Amino acid sequence: MGNNNRMPGDPIGAALFGATRQAVLGLLFGHTDRRFYQRQIIRSVALGSGTVQRELEQLVGAGILARTVEGRQTYFQANRACPVFEEMHGIVRKTFGVAGVLQSGLARLGAKVQLAFICGSVAAGAETSSSDVDVMIIGKRVSVEDIVPALAEAQRNLAREVNPSVYRTAEFSSKLAQGQHFLTSVVSGPKIFLIGDENELGRLVQGGLAQGAQDEPAGNRRSLRRRR
Amino acid sequence: MKACQTRGLVADWRFNIAYNAALQLASAALAAAGYEAERANRHYRVIHSLELTLEVDATTIGKFDVFRKKRNITDYERADTISETEAEEMRRLAERLRSGVAQWVRQNHPQLAP
Repeated sequence: MGNNNRMPGDPIGAALFGATRQAVLGLLFGHTDRRFYQRQIIRSVALGSGTVQRELEQLVGAGILARTVEGRQTYFQANRACPVFEEMHGIVRKTFGVAGVLQSGLARLGAKVQLAFICGSVAAGAETSSSDVDVMIIGKRVSVEDIVPALAEAQRNLAREVNPSVYRTAEFSSKLAQGQHFLTSVVSGPKIFLIGDENELGRLVQGGLAQGAQDEPAGNRRSLRRRR
Repeated sequence: MKACQTRGLVADWRFNIAYNAALQLASAALAAAGYEAERANRHYRVIHSLELTLEVDATTIGKFDVFRKKRNITDYERADTISETEAEEMRRLAERLRSGVAQWVRQNHPQLAP
């Protein structure tokens, strides 16, 4: 597939911000409940210290980051009081942050993955630094064996545990059609799509319903729709 | 190992049985080498000890570790989250580990071999 070379950034992130800004925002808005000291940031984003310092100055100047000084140490943290905090958090999460990193890992698997999305607390924007990133991965022949190496690097870059759920397409569709609680709640909950989109998901849901209609008495079919 | 192939058992339970078997196998190898894992983070330590005992590759250990986290979730937080693929891959991992440990014990600790 052609797009596994796109560096950490995805097109939206790259159109909005330069590489340094993406790296800094990715780190600080990837862990909004943590504060980082300057050297830590420089080391983590692996870019020139002058460039990173200028970036931090600007972001603090705009109120996007908050700076606190304790003794001889200066800390930086995503600023919750910033009027666009939620929006920034959302942009980072959905583009070059968690989503971008996971996407480039999964892109290596090519057509094996039909649909992948982040669910749970990270998708809802309610995560803390210790939250796992829950990722649902669906494909006709996909396996945990394929996923582990693809996500290992992402896990390191994000400094966060990734918890993949791996489903074969047929099982995913048929369990949804049966109204299985876990998958039904995942599908109706907040999602950040990594591979495929809402349409693809809709097709899988419809596929399961069509299949269910064939091999099951009619009564069972409505459960999913009702819960959505 | 037979129990995790019980037909009609939900994936969560087949997965759990295979996970326990695999963990016991890894502990057995560690014990044969003369060690015991500390209580804190025991499962994590036992799984990662496979790198030092049987010299298991990183992907397999990574996969086992993903399953460890899944087992925490399925045991303590939320039932019915294990897919058929995951249960089957856990079973295969345990199966491979069983023959791996048996062979490794025969080669390295023949006095302990059954």
